[in-house]
Amino acid sequence: MLEIRGLRKAYGEVVALAGVDLDVPRGRIVSLLGPNGAGKTTLVSIVSGLRHADAGTVRVGDVDALRHPQQARQLIGLAPQELGLYPILTVRRNLQVFGELYGLRGTELESRIGETAAALGVDPLLDRKAGELSGGQKRRVHTAIALLHRPPLLLLDEATVGADIETRGELLGLVRRLAHEGKAAVLYTTHYLHEVEELGATVVIIDEGRVIAAGGVEDLIAEHAQPVVEVAFDGQAPLIDVSAPYEVEDDRIRVPSGEPARTAATLLASLGSDADRVRSVEIVRPSLEAVYLALTGKRYDPTGAGVEEEVSGVAAN
Amino acid sequence: MSPRTSAALLRHELRIMATDPSVVVFVLVMPLLMIAFTERLFAAPLASEAAGSQVDGSDFAVPGMAVAFAAFGVGFSGFAFFREHGWGTWERLRATPASPADIMTGKVLPAVLLTTLQVALLFALGGPLFGFTIRGSVLAITVLIVALALALNAFGVAIVAVTRTAQQLNAAGSAGGMVMATMGGAFVPIEVMPSWAATLAPAMPTYWAMRGLRAVIFEGGGIAETALPVLMLMGFTLAFGAVAAWRFRFDETKVHFG
Repeated sequence: MLEIRGLRKAYGEVVALAGVDLDVPRGRIVSLLGPNGAGKTTLVSIVSGLRHADAGTVRVGDVDALRHPQQARQLIGLAPQELGLYPILTVRRNLQVFGELYGLRGTELESRIGETAAALGVDPLLDRKAGELSGGQKRRVHTAIALLHRPPLLLLDEATVGADIETRGELLGLVRRLAHEGKAAVLYTTHYLHEVEELGATVVIIDEGRVIAAGGVEDLIAEHAQPVVEVAFDGQAPLIDVSAPYEVEDDRIRVPSGEPARTAATLLASLGSDADRVRSVEIVRPSLEAVYLALTGKRYDPTGAGVEEEVSGVAAN
Repeated sequence: MSPRTSAALLRHELRIMATDPSVVVFVLVMPLLMIAFTERLFAAPLASEAAGSQVDGSDFAVPGMAVAFAAFGVGFSGFAFFREHGWGTWERLRATPASPADIMTGKVLPAVLLTTLQVALLFALGGPLFGFTIRGSVLAITVLIVALALALNAFGVAIVAVTRTAQQLNAAGSAGGMVMATMGGAFVPIEVMPSWAATLAPAMPTYWAMRGLRAVIFEGGGIAETALPVLMLMGFTLAFGAVAAWRFRFDETKVHFG
């Protein structure tokens, strides 16, 4: 449904996208993951025709979106990162105007409003002014606008920023449902690693304008990160005798291992009298954070502010 | 461009305008008060200068204040753009299938309608409230009002195109409106303006509006007598429109108050 090839965009000297390839087939959720400033919003803006690309191609369905952005927009539902609502109009009016701009009219428009508002749990709020809603309620209405015309391609840019836990859960649930029912291809940008794991999405990790990894969460973890055996001691961690490289940090030892249970057993057996000081033993399963670290050599910092911090070895949480 | 889409945006803009009835105070109540306060001031200079002595103060005060307050409102169409940025809806609108022409039409046409309605209502109320009379063609007056509304709102869009913050828009709109109202011979008759100002007056669209209106109201003129002022107003519309087309950037981020 969405096919991007060699997409490039620079703002003066700053390269936002340095040749990105990306596919989102119908019925799939592709999660575009990266710290702030990685180029996610630029990519979404170009696909939805809000910014021009310097080079590359973008196809939405059968439409060349860079040449015919207006045609492509009919196929896209965009929920931008920044909330966009008319605060002085009712929720119904907000939905109406955007529905009309996508060509919906009359009873069809009314039934879509009812249906979409119900799906997002905002049907009791239809006659309230948008400006009077809570942050989470606004986020739901904001997302409802993107869904109203049943777009085959849904672009959700940081859809859960500022949302309460309940709203977040419902939004993620709805996104999963839309994709699994085959109704839409979803490009979901986020800087929250755990959301990607929760969505069960295909992941595209973007960093400094480049795709550095793409695939299923499990596959990426298996390919790029290892489980870690972490042993905590009362007092300073001792020096140990294992063949694998390991890390010592104050009271704990961390040993990355492809066979963590076996490694844990060997490690405990080799401790001798230090075994009496063991406070806890944990096998830490690797996450996307470890993948990011393995690929970039940097700890994942969602704000994008501290990405220069170099870390050696493998960490897991 | 799609007429259905433009019409949807136009209705939407009118709904937004309708949520703030305080605008009526500015566009109608204030000019009516000013007419009441100033009409007697204008009687003397006009009686001695204008053709014929039948002209009374309200014959100038009504069109003069109507044109002046229409000029003061040049920022209105601008705020219609800036508040979209403040509400985060500008990018959303742009991401819909609505074309830039649809968005422009949907935003500007309501402002043109508002200016037209404002001037027309002031003329309509001028009769019963102040004894204002139109000696010439009502059709010619109508054409003039529409031409003036187009020129003023084209100026409004041109200042949106060249300003980036709401403060700049406010400053440019206020200054532009004030200069057009005073220099164009709407706020005070051109007969009592300093000569240097009277020389510069034809550079203002309001001057041509007043010249046309006075020809109809004072002298009983019709379409023929207002042809030149209407053409000049259309020229201003094209010139301001050209500035807007040259400088307006749909992908620019405007800074709203918040």
